[in-house]
Amino acid sequence: MEDIRKRAKQLLEAKTVDVVIGYGEGYGKKVKAIFVRKPEDADKLIYDERCTQNIGVYLTKHEVKHFGKAAIVASVPVMRTILQLCSENQLKEDDVLTLGITLEGKFLEFPTYRTLENFLANGVQPLTESDKELMAKIDAMSISERWNFWTAELSKCIKCYACRSSCPMCYCNRCMVDYNQPQWVSVPSTEIGNIEWHLMRAMHLAGRCVNCGECGRACPVDLPIHLLTFKASEEAKINFSAVAGLSMAMPSTLSTYKPNDKENFIK
Amino acid sequence: MARIGVFVCHCGENISATVDCKSVAESTAEIPGVVHSVEYKYMCSAPGQLLIQEAIAEHKLDGVVVSACSPRMHEPTFRNACSRANLNPYMVEMANIREHCSWVHEKGEATTQKAADIVRTMVEKVKKNKPLEPIRVPITKTALVIGGGVAGIQAALDIANGGHQVVMVEREPSIGGHMSQLSETFPTLDCSQCILTPRMVEVYQHPNIRLITYAEVIGLDGFVGNFVAKIKKKARSVDEDVCTGCGACWNKCPQKKIPNEFERGLGKRTAIYIPFPQAVPNKPVIDKNNCTYYKTGKCKICEKVCLPGAIRFDQPDEIIEIPVGSVTICTGFDVKKTDFFPEYGYGKYKDVLDGIQFERLASASGPTLGEIRRPSDGQIPKKIVFIKCAGSRDPAKGIEYCSKICCMYTAKHAMLYKHKVHDGTPIVFYMDIRAGGKNYEEFVRRAQVEDEVQYIRGRVSKVIEKNGKLLVYGADTLLGGKPVLIEADMVVLATAGVSNEGAEELAQTLHVSYDQHKFFAEAHPKLKPVETNTAGIYLAGACQTTKDIPDSVSAASGTAAKVLGMFAQKEITREPIIAVVNRISPPAFSTCVGCFMCQPVCPYNAIEKEEIKTRDGKVLKELARVNPGLCQGCGTCVALCRSKSIDLQGFTDQQVYSEVFAMLNDI
Ligand SMILES: Cc1cc2nc3c(=O)[nH]c(=O)nc-3n(C[C@H](O)[C@H](O)[C@H](O)COP(=O)(O)OP(=O)(O)OC[C@H]3O[C@@H](n4cnc5c(N)ncnc54)[C@H](O)[C@@H]3O)c2cc1C
Repeated sequence: MEDIRKRAKQLLEAKTVDVVIGYGEGYGKKVKAIFVRKPEDADKLIYDERCTQNIGVYLTKHEVKHFGKAAIVASVPVMRTILQLCSENQLKEDDVLTLGITLEGKFLEFPTYRTLENFLANGVQPLTESDKELMAKIDAMSISERWNFWTAELSKCIKCYACRSSCPMCYCNRCMVDYNQPQWVSVPSTEIGNIEWHLMRAMHLAGRCVNCGECGRACPVDLPIHLLTFKASEEAKINFSAVAGLSMAMPSTLSTYKPNDKENFIK
Repeated sequence: MARIGVFVCHCGENISATVDCKSVAESTAEIPGVVHSVEYKYMCSAPGQLLIQEAIAEHKLDGVVVSACSPRMHEPTFRNACSRANLNPYMVEMANIREHCSWVHEKGEATTQKAADIVRTMVEKVKKNKPLEPIRVPITKTALVIGGGVAGIQAALDIANGGHQVVMVEREPSIGGHMSQLSETFPTLDCSQCILTPRMVEVYQHPNIRLITYAEVIGLDGFVGNFVAKIKKKARSVDEDVCTGCGACWNKCPQKKIPNEFERGLGKRTAIYIPFPQAVPNKPVIDKNNCTYYKTGKCKICEKVCLPGAIRFDQPDEIIEIPVGSVTICTGFDVKKTDFFPEYGYGKYKDVLDGIQFERLASASGPTLGEIRRPSDGQIPKKIVFIKCAGSRDPAKGIEYCSKICCMYTAKHAMLYKHKVHDGTPIVFYMDIRAGGKNYEEFVRRAQVEDEVQYIRGRVSKVIEKNGKLLVYGADTLLGGKPVLIEADMVVLATAGVSNEGAEELAQTLHVSYDQHKFFAEAHPKLKPVETNTAGIYLAGACQTTKDIPDSVSAASGTAAKVLGMFAQKEITREPIIAVVNRISPPAFSTCVGCFMCQPVCPYNAIEKEEIKTRDGKVLKELARVNPGLCQGCGTCVALCRSKSIDLQGFTDQQVYSEVFAMLNDI
């Protein structure tokens, strides 16, 4: 924690960066994202086990970009977010300075995306035990059981779109659900409309999800919707050897055709 | 409120025999927005078109639905008609009640109802149509012809004689293609070389043609009228400008035992060589894999004997970029080699030949100087069995199609044999004799009657070599499948014609489609046989499917007409049915976020990066932009875009959605 504060202060003093995106104390025992722009505020930065939010989501925000060059306190999922956003042309190479926190909790600075790539090549965050368990349970279901499971879960969705707001890959100016000429996805929270939304979200994230699980954590009704995108990542890995967020120039999984792809039906 | 006119066509009786057109017109008149709805016997006729034009003026129509045949048939006709009446031509839609309804259903109420449903969907679509303007693009008036077989030669000469520049790229050291390997040609038996060589020379000498041999097209960027071809010119190791083609080098080259590709392995050649004596250009190449100098670093005899000093051992491959306006693909075909056939000896029996090898034996310039002799022992064969459909029409071998040329060339082979070996016995095994074509049937009859070629209807199950003879086991199906065993001295297989090596890669380089047999695909089998699906790229000759010379040459002239037609214009106008990235007000400028995931899916490389800049040049945003010259309106990017920022003009989401809902919801 001290390392982060010290480095943030230096960076801001030297005007190497204009803003440090990190975590600070929020209301009650909660933490929140803070945007430190003055060296004297660097002491507000914290990092502990409560800091799970993927704050990479702020990198593409118009308001945050406005601050100027950013450094970000980055756990492994945030690092992957940076590389994936770069692959998708949302960040320019070495736009963001990464104040990394390793899986073991060590502070490590990454001056370039190349160094991030090298670091991430050694391994990424594993699934949590409870996610693993639930995933295995769902995998073991028959197709109809699975359908019933998900319809039951998704019928609880209130379409607040917290999943979308929390996802760093949902950076579109206008989401397809907000498109109303014509209205592809129905507006009210109905069983079918909810399913439409979540399937669409999973498809839009296939091969792009960096497995931070933020959508699941953000969900106010505790739907395990992050498992949908995790599953899509798994499929992308199995079928196309594509893992998101490991390279700053990853070809987009669902729109790239390689002559040596396993399936040649698309030729 | 829309003012839509609906025009229901009887198409003679094509539609009215099963659809009650009057009732369709009447029920359509009830749809909100339809102010005029009539039927007529032939809408596409002059009075029919006039009817539409007058109605547009009289009823102040702002949209027209012609309920008739497929838009492929008459959409342009009706668009023009509406244009004449000052209605934007893209405010016209065709409701296809012929192919989609009257032709496929029986007369009845349900059929009429379906026709009315189809019309209703198009009425709802046309309500969402917007006036569009055709796209205009300039043209580079240079034509690229890929492949210098007879098709490529014809296309190049026609275009060049039409007064435009042509660049011809040929993969081999010489142009000529398969025709230069043929001895005599059906149906007239004139000497192939004699009719071809003068044209090869004409190509070489034509002031409008730039011939690049021993070269391949490795890239194509741009769009119709504005391509840039990237050509790799392989190093010949000979300076073409200095070489006089005197032949000293190839006469002195010590490597003399290399199997000659042109003779299809029946003859030998040297390491520095021209493929055949009439080669154009008459400049040799060094085959680096077989040259002593390239292999051991010693020899250089060719360099020593070359008086003008044209040998360049260190010549590099060259990459040339040439702007062209059109591309004609004429890369031809090949035939299966005998090793494809386990039942006929896997290519191991020396006296089992394929058709091209037989052409070489029969050719005056071939390895035997035109005498039919067995490759194994040089003897003159007394009996030759010709087996047709070797591979063709055989789904088990993956070739279900008829190769089309073999019936004719087998008859020719049998005749040539008979003409050269008077006491020889030619026997042809056949499945059917397909001799459609001018003077073709007569030609086959001549073989059977005048030259006494014996035709046995049936298949050959196997050929076995024994004591210098080839035992041919067949069956005569006209005699109830009676087994026949023939002791032959030579067997000639009319092996299946297949796509040329490298065709698939070339198709991918050029971004044109090909079929499951890797033949290049035409845009429409009947109405656009020489066009590909990519505007400005044409195809001719046997690269499309095996074809004989007359067909290849006609197609080649066809492509030339297309190219010359295009080059006759100042600019090209294209249908505005293209994808467009939306624009909205700043600061977003577009809902496109510039993720560029659409870029790799575009088969036409039409998606570019566009930068939105402030006045002082600062980049505010990067967006996708669809190049209107390149886009073919396939819609793949539209389907892929997560934020629905791309739409297809003429088939917008709204239009299609309205259609679908009109279909689902009854009025
Ligand atoms: C045994 C036999 C006998 C025949 N006899 C007759 C006959 O008597 N009468 C008749 O009408 N027809 C005959 N034919 C058919 C005739 O050969 C073809 O119709 C004709 O050769 C087709 O011409 P083409 O130019 O389309 O293709 P090809 O002759 O195959 O020429 C294609 C050219 O393109 C070049 N090429 C290929 N790929 C590339 C590339 N990637 N880049 C650049 N260049 C490339 C090739 O090197 C070649 O020069 C016969 C065919 C066979 C097999």
